[in-house]
Amino acid sequence: MICIKGVSKHFQNERAINYKDMVFEDGKSYMLLGASGCGKSTLLNMIAGILSTDSGEIIIDGVNMSERNQKEKDKFRINNIGYIFQDFKLIPEMSVMDNIDILKLERVDTSMAGEMLKKLEMYDKRNKKVKHLSGGEKQRVAIARAIVKMPDIILADEPTGNLNFEIGEAVIKQLVEISKGKTLIAVTHDERLGKYFDVTIDMNTMIGGGENA
Amino acid sequence: MLKFAFKNMAIKKVQIILIIVSIVISAGVGVLSFNVSEQVSEGLTNNAGYYSAIIGPSGSATQLAMNTMYFTDEPVGTIPYSLVSELAQDNRVTEAIPFAMADNYNGFSVVGTTPAFLSAKTVAQGNMFDQTKTFQAVVGSKVAELNDLKIGDKLYTSHSASGDDKHATPLTVVGILEESHSGFDKIVFTQLKTIWQAHDHGDEGEHDEAAVGVDMLSADTNEQNGNVHETPDHGGHENNGHEDEGEHEGEAHGQTVCAILIKTVNPTYAMSIVNEYDGRVYMHGDESYSLQAIEPMDTMRGVLEETDNTKYIVFVLCAIILIMNIIIISIITLLNMYHSAKEISLMRLIGISMKKINMLYLIQNSIIGLISTALAFGVSRACLLLMSDYVESMGAVLNMAKVYPLEILILVAVFLISVIPTVICTMVMSKKDGINN
Repeated sequence: MICIKGVSKHFQNERAINYKDMVFEDGKSYMLLGASGCGKSTLLNMIAGILSTDSGEIIIDGVNMSERNQKEKDKFRINNIGYIFQDFKLIPEMSVMDNIDILKLERVDTSMAGEMLKKLEMYDKRNKKVKHLSGGEKQRVAIARAIVKMPDIILADEPTGNLNFEIGEAVIKQLVEISKGKTLIAVTHDERLGKYFDVTIDMNTMIGGGENA
Repeated sequence: MLKFAFKNMAIKKVQIILIIVSIVISAGVGVLSFNVSEQVSEGLTNNAGYYSAIIGPSGSATQLAMNTMYFTDEPVGTIPYSLVSELAQDNRVTEAIPFAMADNYNGFSVVGTTPAFLSAKTVAQGNMFDQTKTFQAVVGSKVAELNDLKIGDKLYTSHSASGDDKHATPLTVVGILEESHSGFDKIVFTQLKTIWQAHDHGDEGEHDEAAVGVDMLSADTNEQNGNVHETPDHGGHENNGHEDEGEHEGEAHGQTVCAILIKTVNPTYAMSIVNEYDGRVYMHGDESYSLQAIEPMDTMRGVLEETDNTKYIVFVLCAIILIMNIIIISIITLLNMYHSAKEISLMRLIGISMKKINMLYLIQNSIIGLISTALAFGVSRACLLLMSDYVESMGAVLNMAKVYPLEILILVAVFLISVIPTVICTMVMSKKDGINN
């Protein structure tokens, strides 16, 4: 379970976002909707430990992440969180498999990579360089890399942002399917994809205080 | 980690090849220049102190020293063998060794002398030639190796480099010297009388020019020196192993040598002998010979001073190349790391710790450094091989296996130079840790 309590974040342009209290339950999939700049990606980055909170608490499975140092947050992220980025964050010159195997640097078990790529219909292209893949294929590789370590939490920051609707919908369907039993929080602009998630949260209403249902 | 480091390096192969080439050139030149200058200096000085004085025909002192001690260049000319007897009876002299160079065997010079000339060398196979006999040869290790010579083999020497005027009587190989990484490795040594007899007209009348041998050389040189020296006619020996009438047979026949190497009781005597014989006109029968006497250490010191100046220039150039390369390598590494910033931030975002990233880049640059220094060493040895023929003309044989401690130091320094910029870059990045930026 992920609890967001009185979290706020200040930016260099002196803009501040104050989040209402929120709870993300284990095993459910959440879709965060909202206008650009409403703080969706910032919230994901704070949950992942990429950004620190300025005030408030983010508690994951009873552990207050806000009190952890960067090293501990990194360790938690590599072991427990699968993060899917909008711009994929893949090394273009490396193969699909090498982009997943990069996790081995932190001794992450990637033995499920083949199986994950099969589920995502990317197994045949496992030795292809990422720079030769289409946008949809790259996103599938990013999903495989996020899921391969079997994390409890999967965070997806606009995973369909660079894809057309049909491909984006296919990717979301695969993402939700593969994430069953895990906590999935995905940020998207496209309301049409809401049907694939257990809960849809309008982030425009979650700024300024209070707690989501 | 290592596997991933290699994969990551493969992505940047062009940059990495440029870095390696840059390091190999600078380190290779540095190591090579040091090694060559040291080996040449050692080669020249090792022999220079062995003899107190050298007496030869008047002419170039350096040529006399280089020819007699390192077998380079042509002999200056000839002087009568009777001078050897005179010096041998001198109380100041402990040893007077005659030296004559006239023929060649497949391009390898033939030196006529006494076993005393090879007293510091070890005969690896067979025995030293017998001074009471003729047409026996003790060959240098390279001569044996390159011509596949064994004990008992026959050598047909010739007077000209082309080898088409071979002497009729062959030399028999009786000994092979141990490799000494000096000019001795590429010489055929024989009795002095063998040289004389090989040039006897009666032995091989079909090639007049070759037949005069040492004497013709002496005539040429002495004519230049204003002397008159007629080529004597000698009765020759026909067979290998023929018993000789005595050591002074050459004297009786008016034979000549190219130089006399002298060991004295003490260094003061060497100086007095040089003063006595240098510039002296020696009369032998009706013939006059203008002599020069040198102290080889003094002569070689002059040669080495020039070598030292060259070495200094090469070292300065190497230092400049190394400094330039430190700058180039640092810039390439900094640019590399700058371009890698995106890759590093990517790895940080997916949870790879800065410690692991630092380690990854350190391993990568260590591999580059190791490959570069190993290649630099290999290139320097290959260049040594290519340069060996040229350096031999300076009187030293380059030994590829010879590694000086300073060479290791240069390579270690180059390795560190290739790694340090990465360490600095990663340390700076660690402090910044761009994850929140």
